[in-house]
Amino acid sequence: MTGYADLVDPRSLSVRHFAGVLGLVALAALPFWIQPLLGRGGGILAVVSVTTALFFAMFAMSWDAVSGYTGQISFGHALFFTVGGYGSALANTELGLPPVAAILLGTALAALAGVVIGGPALRLEGPYLSLITLVSPLILLQLFIVFSDTFGGELGLPSPEPLLPVGGFFGQAMANFYVAFALFCVVLLVLLAVTRSNAGSVFTAIREDEAAVAASGLNPAKFKLFAFVLSAAVGGIAGAVFVHTVGKPQPSQLLVMTVSIEVIIATIVGGMGTITGAAVGGLFFSLFREWLSGVEAAVPGIGVSIASLDLLLFSVVTFALLFFLPEGVLGWALRRGRTLTNRESASGDAAPDGGRTPLEQVVANYRDALARIGGDDDD
Amino acid sequence: MSGLTSTISNAVMLSALYALVAIGFTLIFGVGGVLNLSHGATITVGAFTAYFATSVFGLNIWAAAFASMVVGAAFMIAFYLGMVQFVEDQPITVMILTLVMSIVVEEVAKILVGTQPRALPSLVDGQIALLGGVQANRLLAFALSWVIIALLFAGVNYTRTGKAILATSMSTKGASLVGIESKRMYLYTWALAGLLAALAGVFLGSIQTVSWAMGREPLVLSFSIVVLGGIGSIRGSILGAYVIGFLEVFTVSYVDSSLSGLASLVVLVIILLVKPEGLFGRELTH
Repeated sequence: MTGYADLVDPRSLSVRHFAGVLGLVALAALPFWIQPLLGRGGGILAVVSVTTALFFAMFAMSWDAVSGYTGQISFGHALFFTVGGYGSALANTELGLPPVAAILLGTALAALAGVVIGGPALRLEGPYLSLITLVSPLILLQLFIVFSDTFGGELGLPSPEPLLPVGGFFGQAMANFYVAFALFCVVLLVLLAVTRSNAGSVFTAIREDEAAVAASGLNPAKFKLFAFVLSAAVGGIAGAVFVHTVGKPQPSQLLVMTVSIEVIIATIVGGMGTITGAAVGGLFFSLFREWLSGVEAAVPGIGVSIASLDLLLFSVVTFALLFFLPEGVLGWALRRGRTLTNRESASGDAAPDGGRTPLEQVVANYRDALARIGGDDDD
Repeated sequence: MSGLTSTISNAVMLSALYALVAIGFTLIFGVGGVLNLSHGATITVGAFTAYFATSVFGLNIWAAAFASMVVGAAFMIAFYLGMVQFVEDQPITVMILTLVMSIVVEEVAKILVGTQPRALPSLVDGQIALLGGVQANRLLAFALSWVIIALLFAGVNYTRTGKAILATSMSTKGASLVGIESKRMYLYTWALAGLLAALAGVFLGSIQTVSWAMGREPLVLSFSIVVLGGIGSIRGSILGAYVIGFLEVFTVSYVDSSLSGLASLVVLVIILLVKPEGLFGRELTH
């Protein structure tokens, strides 16, 4: 359990930890340096964008906690954001609960969804698990449409009360930002603590070799379910607070398939199985798209604005990253950093053994599972 | 024409199209071990090719259908050769890659024609006095689907290439040992899947409409069909296509139209939990 003590001990603060703390401090002070930089109006819009990005980063971290660590790839994490968000919104608007209680209820519901989906689904391996997680949000969306009197169908629900009501657009934006930032820090710390603890080592071990974990007397199913429920709860609380601040309980913001995919893309871009990679990737992804959607220039020749191409452009960038940087930008930066400072990793936190990146290990596991299904074995 | 016969003929016709889509999906999975999530996008590519061929280049719909089969196959070949083949031993990357590709196709379709659905002419007009009157276009889709399925069975069982594809699906290593180039077999399955999906796209477009998101529903239904029939089994996919097709059409006609898609997804989840290998699982491609 000593893996995360060095995060707070200044004596052992390595360059990357220092960079991380510096990044957090810069983020905390964002409203104070972005407004002189961009002017009051532009600055506050930037603060709103960053607030949204913080939530997206939390979604990415929640995905990374289960998929990056235990290697159980979920293609439908949007389900948990939705259960948290919709649960909280309905508890607030329909049951009249105050936002804080509604958020807690939404989080509990998301954790419950983690049990309901994770329990049976984790018995399945590889592509079958991915398929079931892929269709679960589709089923939920369909249910929302069937029961649109309660769930508002494809249009979603009206916004619930703000978590921290402050008068005026400016004050509300600031309040929302600090709510998001505080939750971001809590989520980051909790997930770092869990993944750097003994439980985290077991998660990683499950990704590397599930049979070995079982052979050493630990129950992999128990740990996988724990990771799944933890991840669902984190995604749920992020979704719940999201709808009470900058987001809206709408399928397009929480539930549609692109949300689940964007979370995966962002984590892979940042670096899978690191939590911090997911945080950085999530922030980058969200802000990059936001920036792209504001570009007013048109593509020469076809008269289509770049803004309407944002998802297309990002998809192409993802193609490139999948090919050239499979370890993620953060993993690449860490490796470059280590080469430059000419030293090995100070703590063994996210570095898997055997020289495989988490992505490579997950890939190897899927290959085994596919070989069993696809009949590549000799039977 | 009574409601029931019309519902049945509708279900039979849609199931025939779903079978075309699902066969391609299951071939790629069974032979190459790749879950091709861009399979729905190929339907869109096929339908849009036919739309542009008829409305912009003024071709007749038969020529357009032929063109879209060529373009659909070419699209899959290009995607396989240009991207998938480099990562095909990394299933996660492939799943993400193919999913991103389907987003690319949808976005491009939106840019080209916008979100308004477009109409595609029927391949044959008129009604045929069968079961109290069936649109000839739908009957053609049904008949063509079975002709293709028969050809496919004959091809897999009686040609050298077909047997090689079958062998690759059973064991890539074994096939390599007897001198079969597995890469080439994968390429054939991708091309075939593209051709079939594009043809299904033309019929879906001419019976319903052509729109940017038209590939999504058949893709999701393919999951249910293929898992129900057993991943990799052609026979299972055909059976699965009819089960799911009938389930879909009957739920929409007799229960509630807003339940469209839900029943098959529930079937999918149940099969995955109870019998994940499906009806004909592990038997593979026969």
